[in-house]
Amino acid sequence: MDVIALPYKWWAEARNVWLIVAVVIYLIVAIPGIYFIYKYRYKPGEREIGDHDFESHTGLEALLTVVPLLTVIILATYSFVIFKKIRTVPDGAMTIKVTAFMWGWQFDYLDENGKVIKTVVTGYHANDYNLQEFEKPVIPAGKPVRVLLTSMDVIHSFFVLPARITEDAVPGRTTYMWFQINKPGEYWVFCREYCGTGHSHMFSKLKVVPPEQFTAWLYGDKKAVAVKSEN
Amino acid sequence: MREAVHVEKPYFLGTLREWLFTTDHKKIGILYFVTSFVVFLIAGLFGLLVRFEQSIPGFQFVDPKTYNYLLTGHGVGMLFWWAIAAHIGGFGNFLLPLMIGAKDVAFPRLNALSWWAFFAANVLFLMTLIPGNQIMTMWTGYPPFALNNDAGLTALYVFVVHLLGASSIATAVNFLVTYITMRAPGVTFFKTNLFVHTLIAANVIQLVGVPSLAGAVTMLFLDKYLGTNFFNPAKGGDPLIYQNIFWFYSHPVVYVQVLPVFGFYSEIIPVFARRPLFGYHSMILAVWGITAVSFFLWVHHMFVSGVPNWVRVLFSYTTLLIAVPTGIKIFNWMLTLYRGAIHFRSQMLYALGGVFMFLIGGLTGLPLGMVAIDLGVSDSLFVVGHFHYVLGMAITLGILGAVIHWFPLATGKFFPENIGKLSFWLIFAGANVFYFLQMVVGMLGNPRRYPDYPPIPEWTTLHVIQTIGALILGVGVLVFAYGIIKGLTSGQKAPENPWKSPSLEWKVGVPARAHGHGEHPPKVEPDWHPYRYDKEEILK
Repeated sequence: MDVIALPYKWWAEARNVWLIVAVVIYLIVAIPGIYFIYKYRYKPGEREIGDHDFESHTGLEALLTVVPLLTVIILATYSFVIFKKIRTVPDGAMTIKVTAFMWGWQFDYLDENGKVIKTVVTGYHANDYNLQEFEKPVIPAGKPVRVLLTSMDVIHSFFVLPARITEDAVPGRTTYMWFQINKPGEYWVFCREYCGTGHSHMFSKLKVVPPEQFTAWLYGDKKAVAVKSEN
Repeated sequence: MREAVHVEKPYFLGTLREWLFTTDHKKIGILYFVTSFVVFLIAGLFGLLVRFEQSIPGFQFVDPKTYNYLLTGHGVGMLFWWAIAAHIGGFGNFLLPLMIGAKDVAFPRLNALSWWAFFAANVLFLMTLIPGNQIMTMWTGYPPFALNNDAGLTALYVFVVHLLGASSIATAVNFLVTYITMRAPGVTFFKTNLFVHTLIAANVIQLVGVPSLAGAVTMLFLDKYLGTNFFNPAKGGDPLIYQNIFWFYSHPVVYVQVLPVFGFYSEIIPVFARRPLFGYHSMILAVWGITAVSFFLWVHHMFVSGVPNWVRVLFSYTTLLIAVPTGIKIFNWMLTLYRGAIHFRSQMLYALGGVFMFLIGGLTGLPLGMVAIDLGVSDSLFVVGHFHYVLGMAITLGILGAVIHWFPLATGKFFPENIGKLSFWLIFAGANVFYFLQMVVGMLGNPRRYPDYPPIPEWTTLHVIQTIGALILGVGVLVFAYGIIKGLTSGQKAPENPWKSPSLEWKVGVPARAHGHGEHPPKVEPDWHPYRYDKEEILK
């Protein structure tokens, strides 16, 4: 399967659409701009004063208002469509409650009734980016994961790098996001909301394993996990 | 022209006492600008240190606490001093009465009070350099973090905002009254310089918005030091209230910062294209359109803060809408060049460079407004790179260009042309390398406000090149600062109206006469327009 992660696939698609639109607009504006700068240089005896007649043009100005207006409405609507997909949690997603603190996260794996099955805590590593195995949250490959976020102290966030999705963890509120990673491996997770001294070392490594291995891990069979952790 | 017969002392020759207790709009303007420029250099140095720390993974130069202080100081200094006070306080004071043919601002003593409140804020800002007084709140001061001891002296941040806010409100009232009541006969709404339009629009935003920011930080102060619970969820408060009130002002403030710079571009480009500003009327409508729409965008700063999905979509639409009036302005500057007779004086390079950087800044703003993409790049270095294009560089290039453009009016001398060109190319090249790659590394996922990051090879490469760009940028700024000193001490003497502009500020002599237009407003002919040129040879 080509799709490594969701919503990364849709995010990347939207980003590419934007990139194409932006480059096209850039060229439409910059090429004539640079050409005018070159062509209409001051030349003694030949071009000493600029044109004073072509000061405005209602039709042209209206065109340059309506076309951008339509462009942004189309872009906003396109973004709306993608946004809906990104923010709608698929049926059958498993739920992890993530509680942020200065500077780490506690991951509580919930069952269908909201009962905690297992808890993983990523601690604070002030000077390096190495984690112990037990600090890494594990998720099943190819299964959607719903994250419920909150915070114990200040505002933090939860950014899953391969899925390109962020949501803040706000004290007193529960926010949500979801993602899915299809390829087993280890992936970066960062805090992207400024939270003080340890902000740049508030990170974790998401360990993505095949579903059967995940089930074994979740219900206590640790040996099964150790088999395949790097890929 | 009555005053022309007797020789009078230039406005800038005066004792220290005369300078400090002045109510003259020109002196106050210079005081504002010099203060802002000094803070610009300090905050720029802070920015360079922040940049060095990010060059390679690990902590090399500063510890995280110092880094957070430097980054807070960089943001506060650049945004509140350089990007607001340099052009509104500095150029606004100096140019507004001269451009509309008034004697001074409406309330000269209130103007002096604005400056003093601003200066007091400056003292508080410099106090943060004393060990133990650091603030680590970032310029946004979000609670609950700002209430935490890890954030340092939040009170200093609050009082800086209060003093600057009081100063800004007084200035806004002053400028609005000046513009409405003191224009010379014949200077109508549709014959006013674009810089004046943008200045007045910016001050309308200040008047409406600043009280909201002051309210937000007051609650922050009460929560931290007097035990109230506005933002404490355990006692029924909500930290997101702060974000809403803060951004209600602090999004429009980016237009306070950038609109007068649009004014600078609109003044400089026609003069050096020797051609009227294209679409003058639509330019004015665009300014006021931006002003109106600017108050309906603030939630795009909170797209991932947990606000309801429908609110995010709504503000995604309004955010993209602002591209329409800003687009009109860019098209009109380009069409002003069409069939012009373009002179490449250094201020023209600054203005054109600023427009090109603003164009990239605007286009990279689109994915931040398109909420679907923003969810993946929010709070990354992409955002930082984007706003250093639109705010950082478009504004800095505009202000530096304006310094060169009005240098003869303020000092009677020319800014050295070679230094102007050299500094432009250094700043332009360095900034583009730096901020473009910052956006690239942000797209790859690098979070913002990080002194350290994991050793991911492509991130490190991009950071090293960014630092090289930042160094070139820093050298360019120093070259420019040297140009100011050289211009003041040994600049070539400027003749009357050196750029041959019909704009009224050039009718008071070079350097500007001490009493400006004096008691009698300049005579404005019915066919006068600030952007009509004749064939007179402009200085090469």
